[in-house]
Amino acid sequence: MNLSNETLMAFADGELDPVQRAQVEALLKTDAALRQRIVALQVQRKRLAQAFDPVLDEPVPDRLTRLLQAAPVATPPHPAAAVINLAEVRAQRARQGGMPSWAQWGGMAACVVLGVLLGTHITGQKTDSDLGLHQGELLAGGAIARALTTQLASEPQADASVAVQLSFIDKHDGYCRTFSTTALAGLACQHNGQWVVHQVATVDAPASAVVRQAATALPRSLLDAVDQRIAGTAMDASAERQARDKGWRR
Amino acid sequence: MAESSPAVRDAIAALLPRLRRFGRTLARHPEDADDLVQIAVEKALTHTEQWRPGTRLDSWIFRIMQNAWIDETRMRERRNQTFVDEEAGENVGINTTDAQIDAIAVRKAVAQLGDDQRVVVGLVLVEGLPYQEAADVLGIPLGTLTSRLARARDALQALLGDTKLGANP
Repeated sequence: MNLSNETLMAFADGELDPVQRAQVEALLKTDAALRQRIVALQVQRKRLAQAFDPVLDEPVPDRLTRLLQAAPVATPPHPAAAVINLAEVRAQRARQGGMPSWAQWGGMAACVVLGVLLGTHITGQKTDSDLGLHQGELLAGGAIARALTTQLASEPQADASVAVQLSFIDKHDGYCRTFSTTALAGLACQHNGQWVVHQVATVDAPASAVVRQAATALPRSLLDAVDQRIAGTAMDASAERQARDKGWRR
Repeated sequence: MAESSPAVRDAIAALLPRLRRFGRTLARHPEDADDLVQIAVEKALTHTEQWRPGTRLDSWIFRIMQNAWIDETRMRERRNQTFVDEEAGENVGINTTDAQIDAIAVRKAVAQLGDDQRVVVGLVLVEGLPYQEAADVLGIPLGTLTSRLARARDALQALLGDTKLGANP
């Protein structure tokens, strides 16, 4: 079998299907020159990556981060419960050369969100992370999604890792709920069977604190977001139970 | 103009370092590369509705960058190939490591490739996209992508010679 340059390259890049790969592997066993070519291709690939990787560590110019900053909100966020704006965090990091100092929890929560955005996005793998990016939307997953789907705000669970405080119907006639963990609070609305997270904020809870069950403990920025979305008032216990039992479908 | 959701904006913001890196493979001057990123991000934000659900956000913006490069930015390329020579002259000092010297040589070699080859090198070898994903970004058949990449790698090998990373067989 005569190997083309392209087949060899595809082998070195891990792009061959299992049958072709086995064929090349069989040839490699007896052909040292072929092995050398494979190694050369792999080394070349590594050199290319290493030549451009330092760009990742450069500070991103302000003119680029500014493009992605959210439109200014009417009410400034509560200082202890700043809404995470990743572009802002990044810009700040670029200026200061480190994590922003404005809030320990803010920094950590930003890392969590950034991590899941990057992780699920770059690897393209489905993960069980609590928040993930899918089709351009931030979706609740894992424990947060389970809590949003099953827990009743009217029946708080003391030992839950995620608390749900409010359930309501929004102006688009869909179900929305607020949730919180020890680090984050958020507002998610049901869309095609998924909980789409529209807002995330940090919570000013110490590391050991249990999750907040009461809506009054939610960050003000989040309550403002609820105000903007809600049609009418929050659902009462029986309406909430009915909605849950019907799988949050309208 | 559709309002892009904060989640999409944040996701694009998180991609900025990679967009800049990809831009550096297309444009030969860092300022041109950042211009390209800026144009692409602006286009992405005003056309979020064109983003196809289930596809990769990075690939989508890479495609916008590639098109913007061919259509607009390439025409007014700043300092052309001279930058990599300047870079080599300015940045090599007594503290420069072998890896840095090699990186400059590699970037210079990439700068000497044609547009068609630079973009496949950028997508596959630098950004790590699978062949099919890269072919989709460029709207070309897989076979075309593969042969372009093979030619680009031959050219790079000719420009750079053999291994410098000590990974001998």
